[in-house]
Formats: sequence, C-alpha cells, structure tokens
Amino acid sequence: MIKLHGVSKIYPTPLVALRDLNLHIKSGEFVSIIGQSGSGKTTMARLLIAEERPTKGIVEIGEWDISKINSYDIPFLRRQIGTIFQDFKLLPKKTIYENTAFALEVAGEKSARIKQVVDKVLDIVGLHTKKAHYPWQLSGGEQQRVAIARALVHKPKIMVADEPTGNLDSINTVEIMEILKRINEIGTTVLLFTHNREIVNQLKRRVITLENGEIIMDQEHGKYVL
Amino acid sequence: MISFLRVLKYAFQDMGRNLGLSLMTVFILILMLLSVNTLWGIDILTGQAVQSVKDQINISLYFVPDAEVSSVEEIKNYLTSFPEVVDLQIINKEEVLQSFKDRHFGNDEVLGALDELGENPFGSTMVIHTREPEDYKNIMTALDVPEYENLIETKSFEGNEGAVETLQNITNRIERIGFGLAFLFAVIAFMIIFNTIRVAINTQKTEIGIKRLVGASGWFIRGPFLVESFLFTLISVLITFGIVFLSLSYLDPYLAVVLPDGFALTNYYKSNILLLFGMQFISVLVLTVLSSLMAMRKQLQV
Repeated sequence: MIKLHGVSKIYPTPLVALRDLNLHIKSGEFVSIIGQSGSGKTTMARLLIAEERPTKGIVEIGEWDISKINSYDIPFLRRQIGTIFQDFKLLPKKTIYENTAFALEVAGEKSARIKQVVDKVLDIVGLHTKKAHYPWQLSGGEQQRVAIARALVHKPKIMVADEPTGNLDSINTVEIMEILKRINEIGTTVLLFTHNREIVNQLKRRVITLENGEIIMDQEHGKYVL
Repeated sequence: MISFLRVLKYAFQDMGRNLGLSLMTVFILILMLLSVNTLWGIDILTGQAVQSVKDQINISLYFVPDAEVSSVEEIKNYLTSFPEVVDLQIINKEEVLQSFKDRHFGNDEVLGALDELGENPFGSTMVIHTREPEDYKNIMTALDVPEYENLIETKSFEGNEGAVETLQNITNRIERIGFGLAFLFAVIAFMIIFNTIRVAINTQKTEIGIKRLVGASGWFIRGPFLVESFLFTLISVLITFGIVFLSLSYLDPYLAVVLPDGFALTNYYKSNILLLFGMQFISVLVLTVLSSLMAMRKQLQV
C-alpha cells in the first residue's frame, strides 16, 4: 500500500530531516510512527500527502509514485488520503456542515449526494446536532471530530493523523483514538504520527520509531520505548 | 457547471463573512477612482478654459481704404493655403462703415465728421484664427513682405503676442504637470490596491492552505478570489459613477459661469459614459485580478 524506497529529505539550511528511509506499510495496518520533536515525523507525514517532495528516493501510494507528482494531480491524491492534524485545520468562516461538505464540493460531487454523505459522517462522529455551528463554537475534541468527518467523506483507503491528540485532554484523546480504531476496523490504513506514549502503548499495534530522521526501530506489536 | 456555481457561492460567502475586509477594499477602490475622475475632470476643464481663451485670440488685418478687393482676395487665398489657418473672415469696407455707424449711433459729432469726409474712410478687415496660438508667429512672418506693406494699414496682433506666449507656456506646463500627476497617481493607486488585496489574501492564507489540503484544485481556490475581484471592481466603479454624477449636477451651475456656452461636465460624462465606464472598469479589473493572482501565486506553490 505505502512504500518508501531510500527516501531522504534535506532542507537547504542544510538540515537532514529524513535519511534513507525504507518502509513498507500493508493495506489495513494501524501504524504508529513515533519519535521526539524534530525526529522527522511531520516531514514524513507531509511527504505522504505531497506537501513536500523527497530530495532523494521514491514514495509510492498504491502503485502511484508520488515523489515527482505534478501540481495538477496533487488535489486528486489528497482526495484519496484522509488527513487530520493537531491544529484541526478547519475553515473558520464555514459551519461544521460546510467544512465537511467542502472536501466533496471541491471534487465536484452532486449536492444531493454531498448532503447524504455529510449527514452520515457527522452522525458517525456524533456531531449531527451541531452541523450549523462554527468551529469556534466547539471544543477541541469536537473540532478534531469534525476534521475526522471531513477526512472520511471520500472513504479514504489511507488516513494520515499527524499528532491528532496533541491539543486534546485525556478524555477527548480516548474518544479520538476510538474513532481512529473504528476507521481502521472498516479497512482503512491508519498512520498515526505521535509522541503520546500512553496511546501508543494501549494500541499494541505496529510501531515505527524515528530518531534524527532515521528509522531506528520497527516493531510489529510495539511500545513507546524512547 | 456545478463547480462554477460553487465558486460563485464561495465568493459571495467569503465577501459576506469577511465584510469588513470587503468594505475596506471597495472603499480604497472608490477613493482611487474618485481621484482619477477628479484629475480627469480638471484636465477637461483646463482644456476647455484654454480652448476658450485660444478662440478669443485672432489676428485682425486692417486694409487701407483704397485696397482693391482683388488684392484682399489674393491675400485671403494666400493665407488659406496655410494648414495652421482654421478660419478666415473678411469684413468688407461697407460692413466696417456700417458697424462703425452702429457703434456710434446717436453721437452726432462723430457721425457728422464722417459725413463731412464724403467718402468711406475705412478699408476692409480680415480676421484670422489659427489652430494654436504659436501659429500666429508664422502668419505674421508670412505677411511681413514688401508687396503687402502698402495694402495693410495695421495688424492688431502685436499687442497680443506676449499674452499668447504666456498662455502657450501655461498650457504646456499644465499638460506636463497633469501627465506627471496622472502617472504618479497611477503608480500610487497600483501599490495601494495591490497591497490591500495582498493583505486580504494573506488574511486568508491559512484557509487557502486548508483548502489545498482537502484536495481543492488551484482554480477552485483562485476562482472565488477572482469573482470577488470582479464584484469589487463592479461595485466600486458603479458607486464612483454615482458620486461623480451627483457631484457634477451640483457643480455644473457654478462651472457654467466660467465655461464656454453650452458646455457641462455632466453632458460630457453622459456622452462618454461607455468609454469612461469601460476604461475604468477594465483598468481596475486588470489591477485587482493581477494583484489577486500575484498574491496567491506564493500560497499555491507546492
């Protein structure tokens, strides 16, 4: 499903963010990518959604080499990968319904279908009653659930979650992790980039550990060992 | 089609939800357009004023009483061959006499003296208008030949020469200053508008980033901004023209006192409305669209 062949990312500073990564993530896996700040987690997440291009190496999503993806194809790639971030990245001037619908509107879906899908995903994340609210009217946990709803509308095969619980309290963290587990159970590959020890240890799934831009450990049922 | 309608919807939504920024952009555009129109109006008024003074300047040639009609005609033909001459009129000696009598009607002393002479003491008069005041010099030089010396009694232009030169200098200076001001103003206006729109787009920088992340194509992001540019332009040009027409209807009665008969700025604007509206609309649209595209270029790069 996701393959990295000798991937390096070097910034002009010069700063080596990632060094010769080789990785294979199979379809349906739930993988935690852990590491301290500056270990290269966010750079790796950005490479997967073509926010960054590798300086060297190949990034493959399915059979698609996205390391040299052209600008025109990027929106199509992003419609196939669900993404959630620590800062939620919701559009502040749009309601919860509009934020969720936006991902489908940009793909040219018909309004009737958009309504059907958006109502369904807002129901899944438990925010159906707040669809007319604006993001600032919701708690952090609720905002992250909106972001998950938005990521789900395309029924993505891959979900990239970059520190999704970083701004949340423990109760909301548990809720978000439960939703991510459910998403994984229906067949979506989940990549969780985090430095939250507790959630990684509770998951008992594959753990890839990054340090100074290199993979130093790849455990099938791992724990947070840093 | 569905995408286009959504782009329109987003544009209206963005304008409404960023009302403060939208109003500020429209306000700046109106200020710029009002200044351009004021400069334009001043240019027209100056032009009209200068033209009316120019129209009043002429050369009058007073012929000796015994100058032959054929000689006067010959000079007329000679002068009309000059491209600088736009109008030439001959007042024959009978008309000059009649005009003199009309002017002194009731003054028995003057009319009695005229009767005592027993003959018409006046010669024909020729009134010449040229295209530009500086052309009069050429005409005067052309008439400065020995064969005409005995025919022309006096030329009335000599006294006006200084005034014409001064007027010409003022006209040239006004034109230069006007051009310089217009250029300076265009540069300032461009910078203000460019920055206003850049600020507007920078404010929405985060939103542009989010839209890209959820798979919006470049044109889906640019589209609403371009529609907004179009709407800002249309609204500001319409409001500016409303203000201009209101101001002119108030100013025209005052301007009528100093301007040539029948000239009103309102009428000028009305008869050139398509040109004025079109030019200003297209210029502002190009300015706003270019600013939008330039400001967005950076944010849409991967």
